[in-house]
Amino acid sequence: MLVQQLANGIAVGSVYALISLGLTMVYGILRILHIAHAGIYALGAYTGWFAFRLVGEFWLSLFIGMAGSALAGYLIERFLYSPLLHLPRIAPLIVSIGLFTAMEETFRIVAGPHTLTYNAKIGIGDLSLGNFKLTETQLLILIVTFLILIILWVILSRTRTGLAMRACAMDAETASSFGVNVKAIVAINFLIGSAMAGAAGVLIGVYDNQVWPTMGSIPAYKALAIVVLGGLGNIPGTVLASFVVGMAETFFIGILAIPFPRDAVAFVAMILVLMFRPYGLLGKG
Amino acid sequence: MGKNFGIGAFVLGLSIFLATGMVFSQETIKIGFFAPITGPAAADGTSAKNAVELGLKEVNETGGIRGKKVELIIYDDRLNPQEAVAIANKLIEKDKVIGVVSGSYSGPTRVTAPIFQKAQIPMVVGYAVHPDVTWDPKEKKPNDFIFRNGFLGEVEGAAAAEFAVKNLKAKRISIIFMDNDFGRAISSGFAERAEKLGATILTRQMYKFPGEKDFRPYLTRIKEGNPDLIFAAGYYNEAASIVRQAKELGITAQIMGEEGFDSPKFLEIAGPAAEGVIIATNLDRDDPRPLVQNFLKNYRKTYNEDADMVGASSYDAFMILVEAIRKAGTDPKAIQKALLETKDYNGLTGKISRFIQGEVVKPVQIQIVKEGKFRRLGVVDNIEVITPPPKK
Repeated sequence: MLVQQLANGIAVGSVYALISLGLTMVYGILRILHIAHAGIYALGAYTGWFAFRLVGEFWLSLFIGMAGSALAGYLIERFLYSPLLHLPRIAPLIVSIGLFTAMEETFRIVAGPHTLTYNAKIGIGDLSLGNFKLTETQLLILIVTFLILIILWVILSRTRTGLAMRACAMDAETASSFGVNVKAIVAINFLIGSAMAGAAGVLIGVYDNQVWPTMGSIPAYKALAIVVLGGLGNIPGTVLASFVVGMAETFFIGILAIPFPRDAVAFVAMILVLMFRPYGLLGKG
Repeated sequence: MGKNFGIGAFVLGLSIFLATGMVFSQETIKIGFFAPITGPAAADGTSAKNAVELGLKEVNETGGIRGKKVELIIYDDRLNPQEAVAIANKLIEKDKVIGVVSGSYSGPTRVTAPIFQKAQIPMVVGYAVHPDVTWDPKEKKPNDFIFRNGFLGEVEGAAAAEFAVKNLKAKRISIIFMDNDFGRAISSGFAERAEKLGATILTRQMYKFPGEKDFRPYLTRIKEGNPDLIFAAGYYNEAASIVRQAKELGITAQIMGEEGFDSPKFLEIAGPAAEGVIIATNLDRDDPRPLVQNFLKNYRKTYNEDADMVGASSYDAFMILVEAIRKAGTDPKAIQKALLETKDYNGLTGKISRFIQGEVVKPVQIQIVKEGKFRRLGVVDNIEVITPPPKK
């Protein structure tokens, strides 16, 4: 049972990682709490669902969902955040919260209040080893997440763009004075982060076979807690925090069996981290 | 002169129009109705509204009540209790209805109950399950103007346990339920009866509602205990997730649910995993009585989808009220008296023997999913099980 719960926890943690990474990247470079990121996640699920309805092919719908989210993320940065950057950071935060609510309502009006089913044939099959079983959708989540994490790692550590991204996160002004096109780097950040959130939306849509208008509302605040846990702006810290929270939730429910609300786990962890390691799990004080 | 005459004729015409309008409005019998037609429970609210409108059409096409047409005044509570309070006051003061039908959940229904009780306007409740709908917890006495056509959670849970242990021979049972009034009531009713009949409850797990979507950690733990039967309490979205994820994890135990599963949405989301799932509910699709078969057929014809428990229960609530008005006339107190005296009423969702403290006494239906449809599997009519426990 322990291994099975481990699989359950890793699957949930992977999705948290995909959502939270975009949030932490945006915070790292713009110092904005991008609440509407959870709307981007839901948008990815809806776009993917719609694409799946049209083309009937899962992998293509995953790609379209990611592309749709990336585009939306880019537009939000270009037309909403960018004009507000000279204002105190509370302004884009308010815009972000408003936008998130507007997105939820738009999903409800356009696609209806009902839950939609994302019943995709993936075609990779279950992975069974004796009593242990990785279901097809769990396997899918693991594969997609690890592919994306590897790609992200390669971009950040092996390319000039990645170097520029890290430089901007450290100090945008100095980076700019060394000839880095900060505007372009910010846009790339949003594109990558939003595409990951879109992938998370599609994966959850398939994992739960449900896409619904308010699917972003719990991730909206949980991702925030994870990002704080990981140390705001810290990418490896966020990945670690995502898996810690995913595992902790699963173990509280499935092994300790205490009726502790799942969504409280991330916040208790966040409070503990703020008390004892205020720079996050991997942060350096 | 000619001009004056024109105005005179116009005024005369207008006053005749208004007068007939008033006469006409006196001639109709006004019944209030509220349901969550939009918002998070829109699927159920729409279902309830559709079914009641079907009933309204039937009543009016067969001559209304005592020669008067019935007028249904419909409000959307959006599953919001504050909204429901405003609706209740409006129905009483502005619309001056003589009776009300609730096609809504416990939240909105529960807050309106004391309002209608105080105004002495009878309300028949379709399927809201909270005990305090028919009971005043402060005064510790029944809301004697409120009647419930659906089952109390405890009764439905006990009936499910009766069937699980006696008919399905379940001995080792795991329970998973949502954390709200309904989930708690139905699972405790189930556990109590199942243990009384000699079954063992292996695990009892509660999940957060709304919000929980990933039941794998719960189910993995259930699988470890290797039960014969899993009793799951929840509404259709969560129910579908539980059933699907159990299948994914290779759980072979019989899954039993309750009326929250009873929706076309459950069958759609759960897909093939729904096959063989058994539920305790308030509608028997294979009831041979023409009343039932005609309703199912007409509903399908009118709305192009299958009727569910919520619709059928709301239809029944409306018809029970209509029947009482037919017997007693339009005085709300007389209607209440007629409702109190209800005996062996032939309802769409089963034969109602009577109301005890506003709670219905009727058999609980057991249905099984076969080829993507709910089908009859059995009926629990053990009087010891289906009689609502007295409230204190």
